[in-house]
Amino acid sequence: MILVVAEQRDGRLNRATWETIAAAQALSANDMPMKVVALGASIGPVAQELAAAGVGEVVATEHEALATYTPDGFTMALRRVIESLTPTFVLLPHTYQTRDFAPVLAARMRASLITDVTGINGSGASATFARPMFQGKLAADVRPQGAAPFLVSIQIGAYRADTVKKGSAASITSVSVDIDAAAIRQKPEPPFQEAKQAVDLSQAERIVSVGRGIKSQENIAIAETMARAMGAEIAASRPICDNGWLPMERQIGSSGQTVAPKLYVALGISGAIQHLVGMKGARTIVAINKDADAPIFEVADYGIVGDLFEIVPALVKELEKA
Amino acid sequence: MQRETLEVDVLIVGGGPAGLSAALRLAQLQSQHGGEPLSVAVVEKAREAGAHSLSGAVLDPSALRELIPDFRERGAPIATEVHADHVYFLTQHSKIEFPIIPPPLRNHGNYIVSLNQFVRWLAEQVEAQGIDFFTGFAAQDVLMEDARIVGVRTGDRGVDKHGQQKPTFEPGVDITAKVTIFCDGVRGNLTKELLRRLPLAVGRQPQQFAIGLKELWDIPPDRIAAGTVMHTLGYPLASDEFGGAFIYAMTDRHLSVGFVVGLDYPDPQFDPHMAFNRFKQHPFVSSLLGDGQMVRYGAKALPEGGWNTIPRTYMDGGLIAGDAGGFLNAMRLKGIHLAMRTGLLAGESAFEAIRAGDTSAASLKRYQDKIDASPVRAELYPVRNVHQAFGGGLWAGLAFAGVAVATRGWWPVDLHGEAGHERLRHLPPGTGSEVVAQPASNATTIDRRLTFDKLTNVHYAGTAHEEDQPSHLLVQTEVCSTICGPEYGHPCVRFCPANVYEIARESDGTPRLQINASNCVHCKTCDIMDPYGVITWVPPEGAGGPQYNGM
Repeated sequence: MILVVAEQRDGRLNRATWETIAAAQALSANDMPMKVVALGASIGPVAQELAAAGVGEVVATEHEALATYTPDGFTMALRRVIESLTPTFVLLPHTYQTRDFAPVLAARMRASLITDVTGINGSGASATFARPMFQGKLAADVRPQGAAPFLVSIQIGAYRADTVKKGSAASITSVSVDIDAAAIRQKPEPPFQEAKQAVDLSQAERIVSVGRGIKSQENIAIAETMARAMGAEIAASRPICDNGWLPMERQIGSSGQTVAPKLYVALGISGAIQHLVGMKGARTIVAINKDADAPIFEVADYGIVGDLFEIVPALVKELEKA
Repeated sequence: MQRETLEVDVLIVGGGPAGLSAALRLAQLQSQHGGEPLSVAVVEKAREAGAHSLSGAVLDPSALRELIPDFRERGAPIATEVHADHVYFLTQHSKIEFPIIPPPLRNHGNYIVSLNQFVRWLAEQVEAQGIDFFTGFAAQDVLMEDARIVGVRTGDRGVDKHGQQKPTFEPGVDITAKVTIFCDGVRGNLTKELLRRLPLAVGRQPQQFAIGLKELWDIPPDRIAAGTVMHTLGYPLASDEFGGAFIYAMTDRHLSVGFVVGLDYPDPQFDPHMAFNRFKQHPFVSSLLGDGQMVRYGAKALPEGGWNTIPRTYMDGGLIAGDAGGFLNAMRLKGIHLAMRTGLLAGESAFEAIRAGDTSAASLKRYQDKIDASPVRAELYPVRNVHQAFGGGLWAGLAFAGVAVATRGWWPVDLHGEAGHERLRHLPPGTGSEVVAQPASNATTIDRRLTFDKLTNVHYAGTAHEEDQPSHLLVQTEVCSTICGPEYGHPCVRFCPANVYEIARESDGTPRLQINASNCVHCKTCDIMDPYGVITWVPPEGAGGPQYNGM
């Protein structure tokens, strides 16, 4: 059996959860049964949403101590759930939250943990999991050893949320866990710093990204116009954020964010490998650059060799017509 | 501000071959002699043992054998024994093999190793002895009371790029010790500070450095037998540029390819990284690498000046070992065994001095006596003039090296070397700010298969730093734009192997030095080679730096 750990906050499931469900369906190949576990203090609506999508039996695990995420609380609860359900595989979205608790959970259970998985070869018990090594230079196929359960976290963007096969409504069971609230060593504070329109580019479907070719801070507006016309987020390569022309949180690449949008438009970005590792998972890459030898064209699906200051306004004009 | 303090008997700064050998020797003496146990701590700036360790590397196992006689049973990662040596002189299109291998370059009985893996293994041996090994902590300052070393202060964490404390701020820790052993590597930031504050280098010659660049390649099968060691001289260097290349064939089709250039070349627009690229384009080398894949990259300076450039290595409460002291045999192209040997002797000296209740310089002089009676002096003294002789050019150097081998080092007067950057030539007046926009004087084509730009290469060094921290390269930019730029054309842009230094243009066209500090691979070349000494390398927040897995 495959157990997917859903991630919700304030009653909302994130996209990474659906991507992980898509991965679990690939692993199952209609052969292994699937369950989805959701944790929280009161998660009725989330369980309903999952059950309505018919992706397998939903296991609702509710406890006061799970109202806010804490690594100790989630580790204790998931350990109980896993021990009572005895799944072969436990799939988790490779989010910040998973990265925080999954190593502890695996160590406590003496279970293997395969992180940041980008693909699954085969299905069922004989499947191998691809994960990047050497900063994405190599993809290693790994197979868990030892006894089940095997914990696997799925890279964000590796599977597509819109490919989840939905079935007829599934049942909801609840598994109760007793958690010793006193044993939770972390005391969560109210969330901070996310108030001011913090951007999570990893969730964006379309991104317009600018590089050195934009030449000056004033010209960023040209790219912003295009982003607005496309309903895209604006992002940048490192030099732009180094110059302070855009905030650091909009930086894509090895020292910034890793994204996998449906559409990535690179304006005046040469495509240094440090940038490519952050966006090469995009489904469609469009590059506009003056230099025909720029490495960005090696990964682009569509490339225009030319002056972005002529091309972008023309594109915006067409986009606004549409 | 409340600083944590930690008090130990022996503090070792730097967890490389020297520091770890010192720690292990201390643990061994402790268990042999019993008594009140000494507390020993090692601090290391890398995130994990070996992450910043880079070398060719061919290991002479002599010191290892003494330190860990059963190193094989303990699983030392020394799989590849050298079975063939070749030395070539390269011309632009072909090669001439030396008919006999010069004795210093004979590697029978030595091993091709990954220094990264070797250091990781050494660290396991040390930790198994219960010694505290603090990785991710950079020693920032020497703590002194008058002329006595009392310990070090580690760097603060959680400071933003404007120097303001972030919510995660943690002040550095003061670690005090009866004896501090400085093993902070080539051009170590603390050893540099010691040489400035104490008269340790008086009467010694200036240290002479080189920069080594290395790539690890996976090559197709049957190209070259594992255990083959090759060295080259000549192309692409001119006769007034000191250096050469190495190619070491390891098991599993891994090839270690590297290039070493003396940091005393005269042309300020010469780029060592481009010289490495040109070397790889030589038909002899490209035929080995073609259809292969570069998997790792790194760069590091090395101290090549030899015996006469080694400072006094003992002081009140302090010792210096390994590359930090300059213990490297440039003629044999080896230093790991000397680092281990001096580390081992420093550990012994610290142990004896503490047990004798006297850790003054007079007591710690026993370290120098041990070095003088050891294979370290026996190996380094006879070749003390060789590197300096290369100051007269390749042919003078080679001829002198031959004489030194024949006479076991006898020579009526010692040759004098100068600090390498003093040999940089001025550019024609008025051209400096123009040439920096041009390619390097030895530029070649970059195809990103065989040859790489620095930015691509540095990706394969795996280097990463906390982004929001002050620059760890302290540069007096005034000198840079008004003097160094016009005279030399910003040579930092050329000699840095990691694209840390860039000349950006303001909107009015005036050049501005942009420091991409997070690219830094901690090679120390800028601290050494900048002609006005206006670049100071200080450690970035602990755990930052390259990740030399398998290098």
